[in-house]
Parts: sequence; structure tokens; C-alpha cells
Amino acid sequence: MLKCNEVVERADELVDGTPLSFRQRWALRLHLMMCHHCRRYVRQLRLLVQSLRRNPEPASEEEVDQVMRQIEQSEST
Amino acid sequence: MNSELETPEFLERLQNGDRQAFSLLVETYHRRLVSTARGLLRSGDAEDAVQNAWIKAHKALPDFEGRSRLQTWLTRIVINEAKMRLRGGGREVTLDVDDEGRDALADRFKDGGGWAQPPGHWGVSSPDDLLTSDELADCMRKTLNDLPEKQRLVLELRDMQGEELDDICNSLEVSASNVRVLLHRARTRLFALVDHFQETGEC
Repeated sequence: MLKCNEVVERADELVDGTPLSFRQRWALRLHLMMCHHCRRYVRQLRLLVQSLRRNPEPASEEEVDQVMRQIEQSEST
Repeated sequence: MNSELETPEFLERLQNGDRQAFSLLVETYHRRLVSTARGLLRSGDAEDAVQNAWIKAHKALPDFEGRSRLQTWLTRIVINEAKMRLRGGGREVTLDVDDEGRDALADRFKDGGGWAQPPGHWGVSSPDDLLTSDELADCMRKTLNDLPEKQRLVLELRDMQGEELDDICNSLEVSASNVRVLLHRARTRLFALVDHFQETGEC
């Protein structure tokens, strides 16, 4: 039987969708069915991880120009 | 991610020396790469390293076989560049796991492994709800900055930029188990922070 601290150790794999063996998945599911603290932990961890996802901010025109200029310079030397 | 940039057609344009395509690549990935470099270098150095990495990437493009995504390939070039700079500055670069910043939730369990101090109810139902408070957002930023650099780098690549774990292991030349430990520590630290904030309203 998994303990709560072991579930917390494995929660990252659940959130990341890492493939787990049948046995591991079953053990986690069984624990989560019975333990509302761990259910809450996994649910809130997932929200937290999703909230960190950033859409890439495009670089400014000046930044792009500077990179392109340096590339041109490196080509001419 | 801009999916147009990860198509074979776009790669062909790049490899044919299409400058407009390369500019678009820079526009899309530059800021991300700077964030990645900042995981290892000081701010000014990070920008220099990325600049140099662009020059290298531009040179190496004809040899790029498209086996990984462009974003992943660029990230690897930036990390190599950053490591080279650290070595040049006499700093040894190991991305192995050490004792720095252990599991922030470890002391919330009883000896038997059950919760002694279980997580509180945050009362949020979507990721966007979580960061509506400016105070919490500030607090998160500060905590992110204070994370041990290896943890922050892995969190940046995985959770902020959405890189695959396998690609992170390859780019950083770190074992999968080390990457998992670093990621786990970074996430539990943030979890403990949000949990504390939700309970007390303080950072």
C-alpha cells in the first residue's frame, strides 16, 4: 500500500503523463480513491504546473535586428 | 509554440538561406533562449551567450537533420554555449543533484508517511484563477528567482517552455532521475509557497 509521501513523490509523473506500469498506476489509483488529501495535492499541483506555462513572447524588432546584424558580421569575417 | 516553424517546409527555407525565415526564428525563440541562458549565467552574459549561439546555429543549420524540434536544438546550442562560458570563467558545471533546496514538503508528513499537515483547499478551478492575485504572482516570481539555479533551469525548460523530459536530459546531459528530482524539488517549493499564501494571504 502506497503512503501519502510516496504519492507526493510520484505525483509529478502523473502530472507529466509519464507512462507508468500497470502495477504503479493501480497502486496510485487505489490510494487516490481513498485519500482526499492526496487527491487535493495532485489536483492542485496540476493547476500550479499548468499556470506556469508561458506563451513565448516574441522578440522586439531591435533584438531581431541585432542578432541578424551580428550574423552578417560573422559571415563577412 | 509556433507550429509553422516546426514544419519541414520551414526548415527547407532556413537551410536555403532564407533570411526572412531566420528572422522569424529569432523573433520566436530569442526571449525563451535568453531565459534558458539566465538559468546558468548572469544577465548580460546570458544575452551575449544567446547572441553567440545564434551565430553558431546559423552556421550549423545546413547540418541540422531535423531529428529534434528546432526549439530543442537551439536550446542545446545555448546550453553548450553557457557551459563553455562557465568553464572559461573557471566555474565547474555540474548539473548533478546535490543537497541544495531539498523537498519543501518533506516535513509535512508523519513518520509513517501519512500527511501531518495536508494541503489546504485553494478554491481555484483553473490555472488562470491561481495567479489573479498580484501579490501571489510577485511572490512566485521572487521564489522562482531564489530557486537553486539547476532547479530553476529544469522548471523553466519543462513547465514554462514545455520541453519534453527526454530532451531536457539530453540537452543538459543529466540522467532522467536527476531531472525528475530537480523538477520535483522546484515544484514542491512552489506548491508549499502557494499553499502558505492561500492559507495566510502572505508570501
